[in-house]
Amino acid sequence: MLDLALKNIMRNRTRTILTTLGILIGIGAIIALGSIAEGINVSIQSSLQLTASKISVQQAGAGIFGMGSELTNDDVELLKSLSGIKDVVPIDVSIGPMTGFAGPDYIFVGIEPDKMSYFAGENFKMYQGRNLDEGESGVAVVGKTVADKFNTQIGDSWSVKDEDFEVVGIMDTTGVSDIDSAILVPLQDLQTALNKDTYYSIYVIPDDVKDTEKIVAEINDASDNLQALSSADLARQASEIVDQIRFFTFGIGAIAAFVGGLGVMNTMIMAVMERRKEIGVMKAIGATNSMILRQILTESAMISVIGGVGGILLGIGAAIGLGAFSGGQIQPYVTPVLATEGLAFAMFLGVIGGLYPARQAANLDPVEALRYE
Amino acid sequence: MIETKNIKKCYGDGCKVTALNDINIHVEKGSFVSIMGPSGSGKTTLLDVLGCLLKPTSGDVYLDGKNVIGLDDNELAVIRKEKIGFVFQQYNLIQSFTAIENVELPLRIKGKSKWEAEDKAKRLLQMVGLGDRLTHKPSQLSGGEQQRVAIARALANDPKIILGDEPTGNLDTKTGQKILNLLKELNQKEGYTLVVVTHDPRVAEYSDKIINLLDGEVLNETYPNGSREHEARRGRK
Repeated sequence: MLDLALKNIMRNRTRTILTTLGILIGIGAIIALGSIAEGINVSIQSSLQLTASKISVQQAGAGIFGMGSELTNDDVELLKSLSGIKDVVPIDVSIGPMTGFAGPDYIFVGIEPDKMSYFAGENFKMYQGRNLDEGESGVAVVGKTVADKFNTQIGDSWSVKDEDFEVVGIMDTTGVSDIDSAILVPLQDLQTALNKDTYYSIYVIPDDVKDTEKIVAEINDASDNLQALSSADLARQASEIVDQIRFFTFGIGAIAAFVGGLGVMNTMIMAVMERRKEIGVMKAIGATNSMILRQILTESAMISVIGGVGGILLGIGAAIGLGAFSGGQIQPYVTPVLATEGLAFAMFLGVIGGLYPARQAANLDPVEALRYE
Repeated sequence: MIETKNIKKCYGDGCKVTALNDINIHVEKGSFVSIMGPSGSGKTTLLDVLGCLLKPTSGDVYLDGKNVIGLDDNELAVIRKEKIGFVFQQYNLIQSFTAIENVELPLRIKGKSKWEAEDKAKRLLQMVGLGDRLTHKPSQLSGGEQQRVAIARALANDPKIILGDEPTGNLDTKTGQKILNLLKELNQKEGYTLVVVTHDPRVAEYSDKIINLLDGEVLNETYPNGSREHEARRGRK
């Protein structure tokens, strides 16, 4: 009966196309917005994997991204005095301009040159050039996104205030936007350039990963000014945020798609009214009520599934577009689960929207329907 | 083939309006029966009851020896699908379907595959003389041609009975005659049982028996070909 359903919905082409568009835009919105949430999720997850055993210490009250956090050398000494600690790594940052909507164009990260791997991950690789060397100054290693975006070559220079940094290396893509957008410079040089002696954050590396939670508790007890978070804490917070984003984006898309569903219902109610007589004929030649019900439901499901598939394609297109527009800082990602959800939601709308008109059609009295003019 | 016993159909609270009252008729297998009577005499209501589209208020209807009273909507739909073909005054073709697609419809409802239905629909349209109009839409066909398509559709699921509701009512004399000849041919050569509601005296002339209704009751039955005229005097003054 699928060929008949297709034939029936194509009778009023314009109406069907407009109705399909309603679903298409709604599902497209769910997929496009959902893909941003998934992209953020992927980015956060891979960034957390790189920093599995790292404890991140910031000034208390500075929020998850640590904006405005200022830590001192006293804090560094305090952390070093704790037991079971392998390393204490202060870092500072200087955030570049925001020209896009997806975060700053670049971030200067000041770190002691031999501690680079605590920021970039143990397995980071150079794309070109070399690492920073211990004791060096006036040099920089840039992330791949920065290098591509600003066409930075080995030997070029970047500057913070009056300090110039010569690029000696370009890191390979890591997929973590914080790292790929970073310009790593020696900590002392950045402090000098910014004329300050406080730090944005301090990484604490435990001797034994198993002690992580214990050390986090110790740090939080040791000073009211310090707030320590393990990667597990960060992961928890991040996944809460991602869940909220997911919920929010699905909500917005679902509202649009729901309006599309009302369009399907409207179209099918009109179609049933127009085809009253024909439904009477179908019954007279032996169609049962459930057959008529199925016929109308098939038609409305078909409209919404076509809209759903179109919406998924639109969403994928929008995700690719958003990725390109953000300059690679957000990598929207359409997961199979997201696509399946979108299609299932479209189908759900089709069936819900079709149910009322389908029941109306099925319950038509054949004698009345046949003589209807 | 068809037999009714004391059919009554009324509408409204406490049966205010009586459409059919105490109808007892008999239609022999392979016969051609006309139902005549003035407007409002209950002709169409009776045809709807015989066609299992309408349930009478009381009485029994035997089709092919089986009482259809008490069957539910689905069972009635099955009987319509298996045993009955309808031909309407307004043809009632689906405008957006081609001739062949209209004839395929009952077969598709029956669950036949597209190609099987197409094959049979084509043969039926050839039989009613529309072999060259298969892919025409109803709007591209004359009234007579549309009625031929409707007849082909009625024949599609090999019914035992063809019920016609003023099948020539919308056609000019000449075209009506052709449709009538076709129906007569189906009755005589193919052996279909025909029950036709009509105002057209020529249709009635062709039939084996005329059932005359008045105010929802059988006024009399006549046999225009004279064969059983002696039986037909009941009720006549």
